[in-house]
Amino acid sequence: MLKKTLYSLLFSTVALMALETGDSVPKNIQDKLKLESNKVYIVDFFASWCKSCKKELPLITNVYNNKVAEVIGINVDKNQEDGKQFVKELELPFPIVYDSDKSLVETFNPLGFPAIYYLKNGQVLNVIFGAVEEIDKKITEDIKSIK
Amino acid sequence: MIKILLIALSASLLMGCSLIKEVKPWEKETLAKPMMQFGGLHPEVTKFEAHTYFSKEASRGGSGVSGGGCGCN
Repeated sequence: MLKKTLYSLLFSTVALMALETGDSVPKNIQDKLKLESNKVYIVDFFASWCKSCKKELPLITNVYNNKVAEVIGINVDKNQEDGKQFVKELELPFPIVYDSDKSLVETFNPLGFPAIYYLKNGQVLNVIFGAVEEIDKKITEDIKSIK
Repeated sequence: MIKILLIALSASLLMGCSLIKEVKPWEKETLAKPMMQFGGLHPEVTKFEAHTYFSKEASRGGSGVSGGGCGCN
């Protein structure tokens, strides 16, 4: 009984842990994001109410348009319509996943917003939390060192 | 008896703490609303309050309130 309780406690703690640099992305999440091997992905978590996201997303669009890396936006708005309206307003050209059931964001468990993850071959290569000035330039430099 | 009661009371208080759920970054939609900031939906109210404060305390500029500099208001 005690052993069972200890195991369940341990696993519940593991489930609460955030994905960090060097961690592997669970297979079901890789499938959900349709990640292809040998490609570098920038996965950007955002919400319509997040002011920093609104500032940063046009720069992420530059990353996508300049073909620096594959970009996937993950909208975490409670109301999906708010997210769709926001995407339309900013004219985001890259693929967007609406994470209404919060399965993606709860797996990655970012410590702040916006949250950017660099992924390659199912592995987290880098993580950036919060707004960063000239993020497009930073990502471009980082990707050069990865490739 | 009192000792047991104290332990039971402490345990129940500690269990109460465990019910406080952390607000995750993606759950801060309500907190991000303009009405959640100091002064609420009407920033002019904050401005008037600041005006009253600096008039009474002779502390113009101390709270970052902009002014004309003529000293007439």
